[in-house]
Amino acid sequence: MPEVQSDDPILKQSYANAILVSSFLLVLTLAWALYQEMFGLRPWRFYQTRFVAAYSKYLEGQKPKQKAAEEAIVKSPEYKSLMERIEAAQKAAESRAQEIRSELAYVDRRNSALADTFMTERARIAALVYQTEISSSESSRKSRKADVDEARNTPLVLDLPTRDGKTERKTLTFPQLEAEFTGLKDRKATLTGEQARLSNGIRDLQQQAKAYFEDRMVGLTVSQLGSLQTAAKKLDPVIRQINVGSAGLVDRCQSCHVAMDPKVVPANLVLTKADLGMAKSGDAPFSSHPNPELLKIHDPDKFGCSGCHGGNGRATNSVENAHGRYEHWLWPLYYKENVEAGCQSCHAADMVIEQATVLNRGKELYRIKGCIGCHRYEGFDNEGEQLLSARQTIRTLEQQKKDLELNVPRVIAEADHAADNTTAQSLYQKANDMRVTTSNIDARIEQLDHRNASLMREEKKIGPSLKEARMKLRKEWIPYWIEHTHEFRPTTKMPQFRLTKDEVQALAAFVWQNALTGPVPAKQSPGNAEKGKQFVETRGCLACHAMGEGANAVGGTFAANLSRVGEKDNFDYLVRWVRNPRERTRPYDPIARVDLGPEDYSKFNKPFVFDLDHDRSPDGKHLLQVQLPTVMPNLRLTIEESRDIASYLITLRHAGASYPPAEFMDDAKLKDKGRALVKNYGCASCHELSGLEEEGRIGTELTTEGSKPIERLDFALLTEEAKRGEDPDGKKSPRGSWYDQKGFFEAKLKQTNVFDKGRLTAQLKMPQPGMELPDRTALVTFLLGSVDQQLPQEYIYKPGDARHDIQEGWWVVTKYNCMGCHNVRIGQQSVLSGLPQYQGDTKDKLPPQLIGEGARVDPAWLAKFLENPSLSTTDTNRNGVRSYLAVRMPTFSFSDGEVQKIVRFFAALGSQSMPYMPPKLEPLTDAERTMARDLFTHPAAPCLKCHATGVPAHDASASAPNFLLTRERLKPAWSYRWILDPSRIAPGTAMPSGLFRKEGDVWVFNGQLPASFKGYTKDQADLLIRYLFQLTPEEQRMLVGRSPAPGGKPAGQ
Amino acid sequence: MLGDWAQLWEIVSTPDNVPIVAMLFLVPFYTWYWWRQAKATDQLIGQLEADPQMAKTHHRKVFPFKTGWDREVHTWPYLMRIEFLAAIIVTVILMVWAITLNAPLEEPANPNLTMNPAKAPWYFLGLQEMLVYFDPWIAGVVMPTLIIVGMMVIPYFDENPLGNGYYTFKQRKFAIWTYLLGFNGLWMLMIVIGTIIRGPGWQWFWPTQTWDHNRLIFEVNRDLHTLFGIHDRLLAGIFGAVVVGIYFVVAGYAAHRLCMATPFTRKIYQRMSLTQTLLLQSMLILMFSLPVKIALRLLFRIKYVLVTPWFNI
Repeated sequence: MPEVQSDDPILKQSYANAILVSSFLLVLTLAWALYQEMFGLRPWRFYQTRFVAAYSKYLEGQKPKQKAAEEAIVKSPEYKSLMERIEAAQKAAESRAQEIRSELAYVDRRNSALADTFMTERARIAALVYQTEISSSESSRKSRKADVDEARNTPLVLDLPTRDGKTERKTLTFPQLEAEFTGLKDRKATLTGEQARLSNGIRDLQQQAKAYFEDRMVGLTVSQLGSLQTAAKKLDPVIRQINVGSAGLVDRCQSCHVAMDPKVVPANLVLTKADLGMAKSGDAPFSSHPNPELLKIHDPDKFGCSGCHGGNGRATNSVENAHGRYEHWLWPLYYKENVEAGCQSCHAADMVIEQATVLNRGKELYRIKGCIGCHRYEGFDNEGEQLLSARQTIRTLEQQKKDLELNVPRVIAEADHAADNTTAQSLYQKANDMRVTTSNIDARIEQLDHRNASLMREEKKIGPSLKEARMKLRKEWIPYWIEHTHEFRPTTKMPQFRLTKDEVQALAAFVWQNALTGPVPAKQSPGNAEKGKQFVETRGCLACHAMGEGANAVGGTFAANLSRVGEKDNFDYLVRWVRNPRERTRPYDPIARVDLGPEDYSKFNKPFVFDLDHDRSPDGKHLLQVQLPTVMPNLRLTIEESRDIASYLITLRHAGASYPPAEFMDDAKLKDKGRALVKNYGCASCHELSGLEEEGRIGTELTTEGSKPIERLDFALLTEEAKRGEDPDGKKSPRGSWYDQKGFFEAKLKQTNVFDKGRLTAQLKMPQPGMELPDRTALVTFLLGSVDQQLPQEYIYKPGDARHDIQEGWWVVTKYNCMGCHNVRIGQQSVLSGLPQYQGDTKDKLPPQLIGEGARVDPAWLAKFLENPSLSTTDTNRNGVRSYLAVRMPTFSFSDGEVQKIVRFFAALGSQSMPYMPPKLEPLTDAERTMARDLFTHPAAPCLKCHATGVPAHDASASAPNFLLTRERLKPAWSYRWILDPSRIAPGTAMPSGLFRKEGDVWVFNGQLPASFKGYTKDQADLLIRYLFQLTPEEQRMLVGRSPAPGGKPAGQ
Repeated sequence: MLGDWAQLWEIVSTPDNVPIVAMLFLVPFYTWYWWRQAKATDQLIGQLEADPQMAKTHHRKVFPFKTGWDREVHTWPYLMRIEFLAAIIVTVILMVWAITLNAPLEEPANPNLTMNPAKAPWYFLGLQEMLVYFDPWIAGVVMPTLIIVGMMVIPYFDENPLGNGYYTFKQRKFAIWTYLLGFNGLWMLMIVIGTIIRGPGWQWFWPTQTWDHNRLIFEVNRDLHTLFGIHDRLLAGIFGAVVVGIYFVVAGYAAHRLCMATPFTRKIYQRMSLTQTLLLQSMLILMFSLPVKIALRLLFRIKYVLVTPWFNI
């Protein structure tokens, strides 16, 4: 800068320092920016580096162990002998192999010496031939031909190698050369073939050795470990990305979760944090997927990670961002306890999903706890809705029909007075058309009725019908129950409502006054409570009901705990209920919306009889609801047994239990208030109530609740606390901020009115369901998974045929709690099998397990059986198949649709195709029949010792089904497998295994063969099956005498 | 409930609001900085005017400079080095900003769910705030048009040649006061209100007051004529027109008084033509109408003064 003689501050001021400092700052900022660019925004680099170090160490650490394992196998005598055999084979083949090799070398040498010349000549001759062929004149063709011949006959001089390593000079014409060349080629092919044959045997042995090694080697071999180590060393920190175009997923999760990348950690190696020595580290996302089985069916290359787990798959700059745990990412990563919520995205239609126990529990709870009563959920229990809409349609159609019928005479009258013939005719035609239309309407109504009949059988309410309240319940007990629901019965499905004393009284009074008053159930004489207790314990009641309170409760949780039932119920009603729980006091006419009584029937001179066979209103117009909408089935008990059971149940009460008198129950003034309350709290969602049969659901639909915007979830005055991470009780929330869907659901389920906190006018009416934390977590998981679908349609699990049958069947099987008595799928245990009275030897008293039921029974028979499990119209107080079991297979009155669903469900579970065609069995010859008889009554296989026959004296101690059912009931293929090895199909069965042994290609009886078998070469097990499938009652009766006396060890299946 | 500092921090730390927070400090700083410079210049002008000799050579009315200063300096290096320094500092600031604050992206728009509060970009928040006080077409169409037109015509009625190229207050008092009031006082203030004060439901939340989505306030806004018991539509229209007319007269008089306040402004006034004066006055009247309406609305809960079937004021 020039020296300036001036006072001007602009000239005198120096900016050197300012520029120096800011330049320095600029450089620093630049460095900071570069750091951010390289590392700050790419935290996955650190993760990958850390992983590589730990992983290499782990691999190194595995080496000695794996080496020892490897050596153990290599040193095993089997492996050694295999190696010796390989060596011997190699040695044996060696000399010939050597010969072939040298011969091949000779052929190759010779071939290469003549190949050049041969090919050149061949090309030259081919060109000359071509020229000849296209010659236009005869003369030129001739001269060309001469050229060709000359070329073919010109002697060629070649130096060819000989076998002994010398060279021979040969003079050959082209045809000779060609022959030599072809000869060499053939020779080579022959030799190579021989060589391959020689090594084939050795290769087989080598493969055997390899297979032997691989089968026994657990984990990776040392060389595999080594190559993984090398690969790990070369691992470059890069973004590892799965791109699923069709689903719009770009998941870079593996950039930090390196071990999830099959290219880094092979799929068969399961790594845990502990393996890497990081068990205690909170920041080591290095385990491989804990469930490789799941990954096999959900290939990450096709499903990505965030498709199931949620989270922001694209984000790589921080843990929070990648996991989507910030306000603007709508699909955050599911927390560990709710991880199965992800399954729901595609498996919403499945009632039971393998490996998703928490979600399954959530779905089950949603139904059995009655959430579905108030909260609609797509796919759950829609019989009620369908019924309503069908009834609505019927009403509209009836109105239409009425209008038309009124109009017909008018149109005819008009036609009679028409001015001209044409008009009259067209009007007559119109009247006719209208008549035909009414008949069409009739047809439609009939169809709808038919559907309704099915739907009415299928529609079940969560709670008992309160139309029966007056018949069934003690008056004073009702208000007590409403007020102290969970106190009286902690395990009940009925949630606890928050009501004032006045409200309780009004509700109870409404229920009481609104209930039916008659006809009252017949007066019953008391039965034998001792016997009743025995029935309850043996007939199978405990599959659904529990007895005893608290920790002493024994039995299922599907239905009510009966331990205090005596305090509330009326004995006469209880007898009726036990005998037939579906019996109504009055049938309900859903179209006219009235409960019909004897007076309505007498108007039409009809007896007051209504059941599934008499299900039309007395005027014949409408289909009636003739059953109570309960899932409790009919156990086909006699009246005496019912009395005994009821007498026992009525004794179940707390000593000295008493309830204050409740005169207000008859106070007519309370009724209207009660009705308003019932509507407000949605009681009619779960209970049948007169006049409120068609009440809709009062709660929010929850089908897509999990993706509801957080703004729509009303945290009310807790909003700020939730955001700050303060629990409603004022403590610090362990998860921090709980202002999200999960937080809302958890808080709400824990305390349903929690969001009324601090509000002067409490509004939330959702009652308190008695649920423990694991159950709440299951429900929260289910709700979190209930999202508006983001994935494309092809991802939704929509199975065809068999799997679809399974999907549908589960709804029915769980609806009626079949799993209370039966083991339906592998790994599941029925409630009964867990009861103390069925442990040890009494295991055979359990109902049959149904794993493989589809393969066992004929579907047509199964359908018949399900409709009437007694398999008899007269003698119904028994089991149709296992008459010797005390446990009773009840009559469920399934609708046709449900029967079909169950049958198809079992067929699909047993991998059976539908429809089933029974195979034709070869008829027995007379000789064969004699042999079969001998086998059938053989002392080593006394079939009739256990199997029932229908002869009462014999059956008293029978413990297996009657053979006469076989033909209709069983499938021959299954029966064949069954008699060969029953314990493989039903472990623990009393049916003995090892009745037959394999001899050559056929199974023969494993005992002293009767004389008649001499010279019989066919399969003896097959013979027995054929005999059983052709067994006649006469035949069996005849054999009962010949077989050993019944008794002894009973058989199961 | 006041004292929710977390709430305040959430508002001011939102990347969207950072420019406004910066503005809160930068505008007063530069106003002060200008003021200091202007003070110095004005002092210099005073010194120069006191000395007739100096006034001739160093003042010349439009170009004051001290004895010993150069009348002109070269762009290079004297201007360039300062610009270079500024460029470095701005680069540093922008880089730090870019590193520390991410783009405020949110979730995909959901047509079923409107965000609350829904706020315009920060530079439009003043306009959005105006919607509270006027009908949409007045606040959104008429007013912005007038603002733009007003700024376009400034060169045509501001014929004061002084204060060009240096900071001064004395020589441009009128223009500067108008600016301070119109820009700093109204425009900036409304942006700040829109950003920091307006919460869910566009309700008024004092700083550190929790933005409670459930907050309910009871407030009835009235039209002016209902306060005077007029309910007939025609009468109300006439009444409103009269009131607006009175405002125009009063405000016009006030504007005129302002123009005649000092000898300096009188001089300016005398130099102006009739068109210029009228234009200036109407712009001033319209500008004043905004704070008047804000005061009426916020302090007296008056919704409209003039109600007609076509528009409301």
